[in-house]
Amino acid sequence: MAPPADFQMPDFLKPGIDADFLRDFQTLAQQSWDAWLRQQSAATGAGSPSFAAAPNAAAGNEVLDRTLAGLKSYFEWMQGMTAGAAGVPGADWQQQVQQLFGGAQQPFAQAFQHIDGAGMEGFAGKWHSWLQGMQPADTLASGPTPAFGQDREQQMQRQALAAAMLESMQASARYQSLIQRANTQGMQKLQDKLAEHAEPGRQIESLKALYDLWVDAAEEAYAEIALTDEFREAYGAMANSQMRVRSLQQQQTEQLCQQWGLPTRREMDTLGERLQQVRREARASRAGTAVDHSKEIADLRRELAELRRQLAGAEVKLVPARRSAAKKAPAKAAAKTSRLAVKKAATAKPGATRKTAAKKPAPAAPRKSAGKPAARKSSTTRTPAPRKRK
Amino acid sequence: MYTPLRIDPTRALADINTFQRKLAAGMGHLRNMREPDYANTPRELVYSEDKLKVWHFTGTAPTSKTPLLIVYALVNTVWMTDLQADRSMVRNLLEQGEDVYLIDWGYPDGADRWLTLDDYINGYLDRCVDAVRRRHDLDAINLLGICQGGAFSLCYAALHRDKVKNLITMVTPVDFQTPDNMLSHWCRNLDVDLFVDTMGNIPAGLMNYVYLTLKPVRLNQQKYIGMVDILDNPVELENFLRMERWIFDSPDQAGEAFRQFIKDFYQGNKLIKGTLEIGGQRVDLGEVTQPVLNIFAEQDHLVPPDASRALGEHVGSSDYTQLAFKGGHIGIYVSGRAQREVPPAIHQWLRARQ
Repeated sequence: MAPPADFQMPDFLKPGIDADFLRDFQTLAQQSWDAWLRQQSAATGAGSPSFAAAPNAAAGNEVLDRTLAGLKSYFEWMQGMTAGAAGVPGADWQQQVQQLFGGAQQPFAQAFQHIDGAGMEGFAGKWHSWLQGMQPADTLASGPTPAFGQDREQQMQRQALAAAMLESMQASARYQSLIQRANTQGMQKLQDKLAEHAEPGRQIESLKALYDLWVDAAEEAYAEIALTDEFREAYGAMANSQMRVRSLQQQQTEQLCQQWGLPTRREMDTLGERLQQVRREARASRAGTAVDHSKEIADLRRELAELRRQLAGAEVKLVPARRSAAKKAPAKAAAKTSRLAVKKAATAKPGATRKTAAKKPAPAAPRKSAGKPAARKSSTTRTPAPRKRK
Repeated sequence: MYTPLRIDPTRALADINTFQRKLAAGMGHLRNMREPDYANTPRELVYSEDKLKVWHFTGTAPTSKTPLLIVYALVNTVWMTDLQADRSMVRNLLEQGEDVYLIDWGYPDGADRWLTLDDYINGYLDRCVDAVRRRHDLDAINLLGICQGGAFSLCYAALHRDKVKNLITMVTPVDFQTPDNMLSHWCRNLDVDLFVDTMGNIPAGLMNYVYLTLKPVRLNQQKYIGMVDILDNPVELENFLRMERWIFDSPDQAGEAFRQFIKDFYQGNKLIKGTLEIGGQRVDLGEVTQPVLNIFAEQDHLVPPDASRALGEHVGSSDYTQLAFKGGHIGIYVSGRAQREVPPAIHQWLRARQ
């Protein structure tokens, strides 16, 4: 690929590129970059022009900050790469690659550093520095000592927090060492990949192509490490230890809030949990009530219709006895009997009932007896009394 | 012996120059750009409860007899399905003739911290399904579950068989412990109880951080370097920024639901073991007897293809179809190939099962 059409190389340098020119160019480029960056930061209100601070500038344009941070790393890498490629003629390419991708400023390490945004609260190193500032220095240094006296509980809590912080720092260090290992293995993979490009026609001819190859190698190495049991344990230990620190710190904050008469997160959680449970019960109750009612009503209607048919059948059969019985039996006894009669009718074979009903459609039952088969007045006139002694 | 590096210093300097120039010119465009909108396909609100909304997409008269309810994941926002006019799955489904509904779960806050999976699946989701059923006077509707929403839909279809006519799962994890599942691997040693008890709701920023560290260099750096090449292209730049908006504008996770999802799905892998319980009821994938279309992405780094393929071994349906898409977890919704392949495939599959 040729340089862009509008790229102007100074005439006096055209015969050859030397290391001095490269240094001068880099200095100029760096100066113009920094100046431009300050301008961008001011224009977007991103706060500090420093790249190191950009990802943490909560008030600024977070996407822009993150973008600029990544671009800065890439830009610096390109500069270094250019110097390395041109400034050391005949140098061992493997050594050059090691220098350009293996240093502390290499892009892989920075790719991790630049995700130190709000999302990293649980996993970021800034937690430690903040918490360390909260603690007496000697608590961390001296380790646990027996606690006693009036503030024994507070001493215990401070010691627990200090121990948790130490544990968290150790866990983070272990995690970081694995990241570093991924970086080292990524370098090896890059060299392996580059070795495949050592033939004419397959050589890497642009910085971007080299960078993309390095990204592939770095991601492959990282994925291999990230799927090991060792990484899984380190990752879990780091997250868990940071949660313990945070939990203990929350306890202290809660105690402070209680002393000041402020509501605490724990109290809010308790209320929230109870409220949610009440909402579930209320909803279940409403749903349950609705379902039970509709089913119950439907069942009752069916039963009622069945009873009407049976009652109608029983009435037909009992008509001859009705008049004489009604004359003799008191109303109360008749009511009792009517219940028995209905019960008996209800237990009669459905087939028989249906048959009767089919032969002679049941007349509409009086309204009073519909919901309550033993309604007094109508029963006394329609049901026989002889069974009252039973 | 040749060296693999044949980088001409003149050209390298030119590359640096070009990079700087593009960046300087493009930042002017970037500064002047407004927040990119999503596709905003015309829609009407048909049901809402707490922070949840059910949208009905309008504008095209559906030819399908049965409505399709999209159940998205709780992570990220639902607008991936309607990202921009020429990359909108819902718009494409509408044009195919589907009658599309979408559950927008909203942004949980502290008041939602105690929502459980039972609340989501047997509560919210069930009432959304009922709302759509009522509107169409139907016993059962079609469900399309996406990612975690696909897992929810599977649970729902198993527990409420009569209400689901056809089930489509997209990039849905079923076997949560395939060897290449990095997310699952990482959270295996997590003390979830301590995590949720301490954090309450899980902040979206933390979730994003975890996703970014799945491919740290590619997602935190390489993609922004690639952006420099499109800084002078307003359309491409707007697309890029829209995607950035979607990635980072994400909801927190309700603590209790997160706890159960990590414990039972990721750590316990109970969905395929048949030991999962939602609201006291056992979820048996064998009970999913409805026709099932399972679509997964072959280059999915969040839900590996094998995690989705496992559904075929466990689902009870005798009408099971599997569709592999050449793309990634996001590309399956927004890539040009996806627009050409996925909605038509869904529509044809549904049409054959009207």
